[in-house]
Order: sequence, then C-alpha cells, then structure tokens
Amino acid sequence: MENINFGIDLGTTNSGIGKFESGKVNIYKNPVGFREVLPSVVAYRNGRILVGDKARELTTMQPEHVFSSFKRKMGSEHNYFVSAINEHKTAIDFSVLVLKELLSFAGTPKPTAAVITIPASFGTVQSNATKTAGYQAGLEEVVLLQEPIAACLAYANTQNLSLDQEKKWLVYDFGGGTFDVALVRINHRELRVLDHEGNNFLGGLDIDNLMLEHLFCPVLEQKMGITNLWKQMVGADAPYYKLFVELLYKAEEAKKELSLKEEVFVELDRPDGFIEFSISRQAFNQLIKQKVEETIKLTKSLLAKNQIEDGAIERIVLVGGTTYIPYVRETLQQQFNTLVDSSIDPSTAIMVGASYYAGTKNRQPKEIKTESPTAAPAVPAQEIKLVYEVNSQDAEELVTGVLANNFSGYYRLTRTDGGFDTGLIAFHSKFNEFVKLVPKAINQFQLRVFDKYQQMVLEKNDISINHGLYNISGQPLPNDICLEIDDTIGTTYLERIFKKNDTLPLSKKIYKTASKTIMKGSGEQLVINVVEGLATASPASNVCIGYIEISSEELPTNLLKGTDIEINFKVSESRDLIIDIFISSIGLEINQVFNATSRQVSVRKIQAELENALQKIERDGPDLIDTDSMAQMLEELRITIIELLEELIHLEDDFITDKIYNLDERKIKLLQQVDSLLRNKELYVEIEEYQSLKAYIREHLLLKPDLKIDQVFQTAIKNEAQFLNSGQLSLIKAKIRDLHRLVREIYYQNDDSYIELFYQYAYIDADNYQDPNKLKVLIERGQTACTKKDYAEVKAIILQMYNLLKVKPEDSLKDQNGTLGLK
Amino acid sequence: MQHIINQVFEIENKIKETDKALFTRNFERLYHEFEQEGFMVINPLGQRYDERDVAIEANILNENGSDLKITKVLKPTIYKQEGTHRALVQKAVVIVE
Repeated sequence: MENINFGIDLGTTNSGIGKFESGKVNIYKNPVGFREVLPSVVAYRNGRILVGDKARELTTMQPEHVFSSFKRKMGSEHNYFVSAINEHKTAIDFSVLVLKELLSFAGTPKPTAAVITIPASFGTVQSNATKTAGYQAGLEEVVLLQEPIAACLAYANTQNLSLDQEKKWLVYDFGGGTFDVALVRINHRELRVLDHEGNNFLGGLDIDNLMLEHLFCPVLEQKMGITNLWKQMVGADAPYYKLFVELLYKAEEAKKELSLKEEVFVELDRPDGFIEFSISRQAFNQLIKQKVEETIKLTKSLLAKNQIEDGAIERIVLVGGTTYIPYVRETLQQQFNTLVDSSIDPSTAIMVGASYYAGTKNRQPKEIKTESPTAAPAVPAQEIKLVYEVNSQDAEELVTGVLANNFSGYYRLTRTDGGFDTGLIAFHSKFNEFVKLVPKAINQFQLRVFDKYQQMVLEKNDISINHGLYNISGQPLPNDICLEIDDTIGTTYLERIFKKNDTLPLSKKIYKTASKTIMKGSGEQLVINVVEGLATASPASNVCIGYIEISSEELPTNLLKGTDIEINFKVSESRDLIIDIFISSIGLEINQVFNATSRQVSVRKIQAELENALQKIERDGPDLIDTDSMAQMLEELRITIIELLEELIHLEDDFITDKIYNLDERKIKLLQQVDSLLRNKELYVEIEEYQSLKAYIREHLLLKPDLKIDQVFQTAIKNEAQFLNSGQLSLIKAKIRDLHRLVREIYYQNDDSYIELFYQYAYIDADNYQDPNKLKVLIERGQTACTKKDYAEVKAIILQMYNLLKVKPEDSLKDQNGTLGLK
Repeated sequence: MQHIINQVFEIENKIKETDKALFTRNFERLYHEFEQEGFMVINPLGQRYDERDVAIEANILNENGSDLKITKVLKPTIYKQEGTHRALVQKAVVIVE
C-alpha cells in the first residue's frame, strides 16, 4: 500500500514541507526564492494575494493588509477583515493559502495526502481546524502529528537511535517568535507528549532587538554624538527609523556570526563616514542571559510539575533557529547535565520528523469529508492563448493571456530562476502582466491558472523571453569568430569569442595572460590574431580578420609572463571588428578598428604557419593515413606548401600589390585541405591515447590506492566530456600530457625504475659529461649499488651524474612557452 | 563564493564616489570572473519597488507606500547558472523608501 510520505510543518512564524523518499527525507525549497522555509504570512496588495517572504516584507508599510501569526487564532471564531477585497477571513482561510503554497513546492504530481504538525497545546477544536485547512488546500487525507513528537522522530531516525527502552526526552523549541518546551516519553517505539510549557512572545526577534538597544545604541550614541537613540528609532514619528531597519538586519547577521566567532565587527555606512565597532560573544551572552534563564525556568517548572528529576532526562533535543546560539546550548548542558542533542538542523527538524512519520503511515481509502464545504467541483482543463515578445530589450515585457468561455479565476506567473512571482491575481477571461526580465539572459516563466476555488486548471512551463541577447533587426554571424591563443604544449588553438548565428552587433570582454616574458627591445612580439571560421579547426585554416603585433619596442616596460591582458572585442552591424587591448600593469592601451578594406596579414605569420603544416605532414602524416589515395593527396599538398613558401620568399619586399592577400587565401584553402585530411584521424588517435592512459592510471589506483595521485587524476579528467567533444586537439593533447606526468610519477614509485634510469644515464656518451674520470667512478659505484639493490645509493649517483652533464636534458612534459605570447 | 561576492560588493560601496573611476576596471574584472564561475550579480539600487520581485528582500520605510524606490542595497542579488538553468542563490537585502 502507498504511504503518505509528505510532512508539513505549519508553523506560527514559518512553515515548510518535506518528503520521505528511499529511506531519506528531502526538504523542498521554495521555487520562488529557493528557501526551505516559507514565512506563514499572507498579504493583499494591488489585487494580488502574496504568501511568504513578499507578504512579510509589507508588514511595516501596509500592516492592515498583512496577516501573520494567525495560527494562534486557529479554531477560534476570530474574523480578520480584509479591506482589499472587502471580505472576512478566518485563520483557516489563511492557513489554506500557506498550505497550498507549500504543496506547490512539491511540483507535479501534487501531494494528495500529508502529515501536518500541530503544537502540543492544540485541543480538539484547533486540531480539527488544522485538518479542515488541509482538506481545503486540496489534500484528500490529513494526518496530524504533535510538533514535539515530530522533533523526536527527526532526531531518532536521523541518528538511527534505538527506542526500545523507556526514556524521557525534552524537546526545547526556541524559534523566531515563540518558545515551547515539551516532555516526551519514549516507550517501545511509542512516543507520547506528557506535558508542555511555553511563551508565545519569546524568540530570536527579541534577542535582535535587545542587541540593538543595549549593544549597538550606546556605541552609536557616542560615535554619532546623540542621546536617546533607541527612542528616536522606535518611538512615534521616529527620525531614525531607517537606521533601525538597517541595524536590525545587521544585528541578525552579527548574531549568526557570533555562533561561530568570539568577536564580530559591525559596520555602518553613514553620510558622514563609516562607523565600525565590535561585539564580543561574552557581551552577547551577558545580554541574552535573562532571556535564556526565562526558558530554563519554564523548562524546570515543566519537570517539577511532572515530578521528574533533571537526571531522568536522557537527552534534550533542539528545535528552532535560536538554538544555534552556543550560549543556549552551554546553559542547557550546565543546568540539566544531560546530552544536548544538536545533531540535526534545528530549523527544519519538525518537517523532517513529520516526513519520517509520513513515510511509515499508510494511505487510507478515500473518505467522505464533511469538513470541506467549499471543496471545488471538477473544472474541465482550459486552453489559453498567450501573446508576448520572444525577444526584448526592455526591463519588463508584456504577457497577455486569453481564456475562452468567460473563464473567471486566478493566474500566477513565476520566473523559474526564483526571482519573480506575481502572486495570485483574480481575472476574467483575459490578463495582462508586465513581467520583469533578468538582463542579457534567457528568462523562463511558468504560468499557472486556477479556478475560483484556487484549484489549478492549467500549467504552462514553456514561456521563454530573451533579454538583450538578440537584436531582432541584426544579422546573424555566418561563422565563429575566434582568438588564437597559446596552449601549454608549444602550439596554438582557437578560443571562440562569438559563435556562428550570434546576432550583430556583438561585444565581449575577455581576460588573458601573457604566456611568455617579453623584454623591452628583445625583438619579440605579442600577437593578437582574430580569425573567422570554425573554432574547432586549426588556427591557420581560418580567415584572419584582425591582427595586431605589439613589438617589444612598443612596450613601455618589460612584459612579464603571467601578466593580465584585457581584450575587448566589438563587432558592429556593418561587420567592423574593434579590438581594445589594455595591459594594466604596464599601462599599455591599444585600440584598433579592422574592416574588410584594411585586412592585415603578416608574411612572417603565413610563413610560420606553412612551415608548421609542412613539418606536421612529414612527421605525423605516415601514421595518420590509411590508404594509398590519401598518401597521394597528402604528398600533393606537401608539394603545394613548398611552392607557396618559395613564393613567399620572393614576396618579402612587395608592399604594394595585393599578392600577400592572394597568398593568404591560398594558404587558408591549403591548410583547410590538410585539416580535413588529417584532423579527424588525429583526433581519434589522441582520444584513444587519452582513454588508454586513463584506464592504466585507474587500474593502478584500484590496485594501489594513492590519495595524492587520485586527486591530481580527478582534476585532470574533470569536465572530460567537454574537452573530448571540443574537437580541439590542443586541449586533448594537454590533457594527455597531464596523464603522462601521472604515469611517470607512478613509474618512479617503483624503486626498480631507478636502476633503469641509472643505465639510461650510463649509456649517454661520456663526451656529454664534464668530468669523464668522475663519471667512470660513478658508473662503477652505480653498477655495484644496482646489484645490491641499494636504491638510496642508486638515486644519489643518478643525481651526481645529472649534475655532471654539460647540457641538462629537457623535461619533455614541461609546460611550453607560447609563440604568440597570449594564453 | 557567495561570501566573497558580498565582500567585493561591500568594498565597492565603501569607495568614495570621487575615487570610484580609479577602480572601475578592477571591479568589472572581478564581476567578470564571478560570471565565468556562473554567478550573476545584480545591484538593484535605484529600482522602483515591485512586490513581485522576489529576488529582493525589502525593508520598507515609507508607510504611505507610494512611489517607492530602492535607496540602499546591503547585499546584491546573486543568481547561479548551472548548465542551462539559472537559480537565485541570494536575495538582495535592500532598504526601500
């Protein structure tokens, strides 16, 4: 049989919902604002019904339209007059709104049964009123559970505690606005609230106010040179009310921070400068002492009236945000000398417990409920016509919805990122709503339509409005626009700045670093090469649309490797490319506009690119070609490259004709052919090598776990899908090199590998060493050490041989300096 | 990261108006880096108060409730982009009057 699974904490100040799933409890976050708790507050403003954070926010401004703490009036005949809609409402009506809001957190399918918690003090009438609210919110089955029991269940289940012996627990619930303490008997897996005590007007907010009055005000009075600040903040027509609001927020932050630190600093921005002061935990503890004592007194009186000794309490479980305060926990520990259990989040403990209970409670067959006189009749599904602009440049965009058949009900539009919510708004047939847009982003909205009983009849999740991303009148880019940058293996690759089909005009700022040191006057240069084509192809096979060489002579001072380089790219609608380069550390700023008529190409660069391609064909070609016809095509390409290089030599002094552009075009076409012939195969070979190295390291780690190597390995293979699918040979090669480094490290973990290394050094020609006689002695000693397997000696000899070498061998796996100077 | 963003935002607001131009590039760079990590930071200062804007937590001073504007921002709004989905990770804390 199916279980209820959903647990709801319907609190006086805050509420929340959780679900028991696969042995665990998941607390739902509010899809609007993403918080786990929902303030139990309802407000009416501008024809909207707001529930939660936004409703609470209106408390100071329009208190007559805001309704909170209605749980205290549950089951009473108290009526609230809602002037905005000229109707009377009860605590049940407001609870229904809060419950509906909570049920919407769970998404679809909507929960049809739930466990709802009630205070231990609730009698039959209040309990039934809570049940009625549950049914009116659309639940078919409601099971009530006392809050202290829920808290005990949360602690017991989360820690898997055995409850088979009789024990007594205290549930100490110190929340934002109320304090409750309950005595619970646990007997053979049965929990019962024996008695409870409480104060409905004692909570965290009182502490915030105390901090303001007694810790903040004296310091501020002195620093601001005024008196009676507290009265001037909270009294009638208070001139410092704004300061009060700001300080209340600061007090709450400081209070939270004091749970972690011994001292916190409070800063205040005043028109005449900053005010800073510190609050110590000691002063804070002294301040709240009296409030905590009040709770201790209530707890002791609870124990006394039930004739229970302090020692008979097995543990005190904590509930409510105020119990985060270390002083509260310490005082409880001192006063009752028992285990103070703070092992779970006290602010969600009740919903966690309710959900655990719901996870064990079977659904009952549907019953006929007399408590729900306003239950909604079935409403047929509705069709809606929606009108809105898909692309917008405005901060708000109009969404119009039209329903057929004179429909009357409510609508609610929310942005799926949790930043916008219209609340429930009544409408007839048609609505217009200006929705707020996040700038330069895709804004996804959800629309829900409810009938007059607030039962949902329609849901649409595909409303998408792009802000600022597309200029409707602009043309799309025909190709990617990319910047050529150095990799760490001595070659270059393309980083995409704008992608094909982005709409003009475009602008983007990127930050790069210098990949090599360029000394002033050294003859080297920093190259900014912007190309148009395909980002995954080799840089030289794309068309150069912007090229800047900053020579070492132009640099005001030396440009050091690692220096930040800011580059701003703009492509106008008429396809001008504007590049602004700014190197802050040397104060260099260059702005250049490129357009079709001022295409710049460099003989030196064309030559280097052709030579690289030639080298590649000669070096890698034989390994990458499979057929005779491919071999023949490659040979033809090789010859054409050589011919082009010869033409380039003759061109060197020609600055007048456009031969250079012609050569550049031919180079691009030629290299595109080389690319299409070799690239896919090369990619395949590289990915194969990557996978085989990865498998080798993984197997090694399985046989011989090594935390350090595993960490480096995990970092190297992170985002694997991204770089393997990037089509960027450079990126894959850099990863292969990282894995090779790890393989080398694994290899040298085995001492025998040093014997092999010794013989490698021993076979190097003696002419390469500085002192042949010393070398001879070292080789003899090394051979003896190898025979004896004296690895420490072998390692020491290798080091000495290395030091004797005239030219030290290069580390083939070392990061290479760039050729462009930009990475 | 959220705490770092808040600290940067505080530092930016501590700088005197007259000195702000000196630091513009540095702050642009910092916010650019946050964006690269998927964090979009929005300062709602000066915006009209909108009860539908759940990305802000407003402390409203003006009791008559007409023509309300955000006059002070204690914390900015922060969104986090995860793949194609964007989610609110911090509401702005503001004063409205």
